[in-house]
Amino acid sequence: MISQWFAMNSVLIDQTLVVFLLALSIQIPLRLGVISFAGIGYFAIGGYGTGILVLQQGWNNVAAIIVCSIVAAIVATLLGFIIAHLNGLYLGMATVSFSLLFSAIAINGGSLTGGAVGLYGLIGPIETWHVALVTVVIVVLVYLSERGRISRRIDAAKEDTQLASALGINVIRMRRMSFPISGALGGLAGAFSISLKTTIHPESINFSLVILALTIIIIGGQASWVGALFGSLFFVWLPEALEFVGDFEAIVYGIVVVVAAVYLPGGVVVVYKDWKHRRQVKRFLAQAPDAPPRDELAGVSGRSKDDAS
Amino acid sequence: MEILQILTTVAVSAAIYLLFALGMSIVWGTMAILNFAHGSIFMFAAFVGYLAVKQVALPLVAVVLIAMIAGALLSVLMQILAFEPIMRKAKNAHAAELQLVIGGIGLSALPIFVAQRATLSNPFGYLQSTFTTEYYDIGGWSISNLEIIILVVGWGLGIGTAIFLRRSRQGLALRSLGVDPEVASLMGVDRTKMALSGMAFAGALAGLAGALTTFYLSSLTPESGNYILLKAFAAIILGGVGSVAGLMIGVTVLAGSETAVILFSSGGWVNAVAFGLLFLILVIRPQGVLGKKEVRRT
Repeated sequence: MISQWFAMNSVLIDQTLVVFLLALSIQIPLRLGVISFAGIGYFAIGGYGTGILVLQQGWNNVAAIIVCSIVAAIVATLLGFIIAHLNGLYLGMATVSFSLLFSAIAINGGSLTGGAVGLYGLIGPIETWHVALVTVVIVVLVYLSERGRISRRIDAAKEDTQLASALGINVIRMRRMSFPISGALGGLAGAFSISLKTTIHPESINFSLVILALTIIIIGGQASWVGALFGSLFFVWLPEALEFVGDFEAIVYGIVVVVAAVYLPGGVVVVYKDWKHRRQVKRFLAQAPDAPPRDELAGVSGRSKDDAS
Repeated sequence: MEILQILTTVAVSAAIYLLFALGMSIVWGTMAILNFAHGSIFMFAAFVGYLAVKQVALPLVAVVLIAMIAGALLSVLMQILAFEPIMRKAKNAHAAELQLVIGGIGLSALPIFVAQRATLSNPFGYLQSTFTTEYYDIGGWSISNLEIIILVVGWGLGIGTAIFLRRSRQGLALRSLGVDPEVASLMGVDRTKMALSGMAFAGALAGLAGALTTFYLSSLTPESGNYILLKAFAAIILGGVGSVAGLMIGVTVLAGSETAVILFSSGGWVNAVAFGLLFLILVIRPQGVLGKKEVRRT
């Protein structure tokens, strides 16, 4: 039963893993307040790099994947140094143009990149479970960065740059550090993508991929890998689950994104945490009938009300 | 004479970019709303013009007016439904910035979808319009009546807006919002109202640009908005966000380099020009050629 299900949905599972890695690549800089869309550029380096090395140079698949991820990380480091002085949307736009330059190179690259058709026919030993294993290792590492001291440093660097600097956190160094990590993840996503799908073409690295990756993180949540996973699952599986959506896919996505931008700025993860928090408060009140009146225990909002009065 | 011909092409495409980017740059520079759906307003307004032309054979002026009204309405609708609530709810300017971009991306999908459904993703044009393009030959230099209209409207509106922003009280109020929104509101500037009229202005100009582009290129695809949006970013940042004079330089440089690329290469790289320019200017001079606004630093 289960193996049958895996066989039937292997394309979607592959797609989920690749999209998840790409989303993480964009999420990690975002956790430090760096709006970077360069993940698509790294994806292009990883995907096209692996394709060119294996198909045209006869490299071993695994070696090509590792080398291309490292190359993507190096390119990302350089990019980080070049655009480190930018902030906010300016940084975002610089990385969008960085990514779209790769899509222009892919279209105009002649026989090296295969032009509009792209590269195809990459058959190798990489299977879904290899990718899943690597993804799990990455998730564990990301999870570790979301706990304890390091997570508090990241939060401080994002929420208040000046305060963080005053506390002895080197914000600029942390932001620069996020670039190679993001680069390696994006490169890996691209390399796995071509390894699993056997093909890559300019359409797969254009502006709509930038939008998809960003949307995934926004719907899921910026702060945690759970958000990226939720978003990836949602956007890869929704068209399958809702077959009646069919042709209306684009409009459903559009509406979901707008509603999320207006009403759920923190993503689904934050909504869940809020709900859990409220339920805990309620349970606490139920267990302790002598507890002080409700508003004093209503958590953060209660405290700020006291401050105001 | 050939060089004059090339310069005409550059000036005409620069005028279209200018019309498209003018309102967007002002709204971004003064109200900090970067509208990612501006490209789909451009396309959809032109599309509404197409629907009208399909019913009745209209002259150019009528088509342009319909597109401008459609663009302004769509832009105001987006402001009311998405951008204003986001601005109101956001904790700080930084958080609002990203949410506005995302809201815009989501919004842009809706008009594109409607147009794609209606045209089955085919290009649409104003074939039934009563307008006919005529070419005038002045000693080997040829220019069409449409090109003259685009040049006069585009550059005229650009210069007019620049003067309006510098000289009028409303212009002063608008610019003061860009410098310090808090102090400006204390001086009696109504941000919400200003944002609405700014968005209406930007949308109307996008509609104007859309209709003129459709006449000029004789057709438009539902997806064309995304390309011009990215090009407009390059032009706006090149000149400096919010600066009209800078924008004029930006669109001229953009149109000039694109024309040069088409002349000297196969033309496949033409879409890369905008990205290359944008990246280069952000690395070298992020505040733009004439930008006064300080770029926040980490």
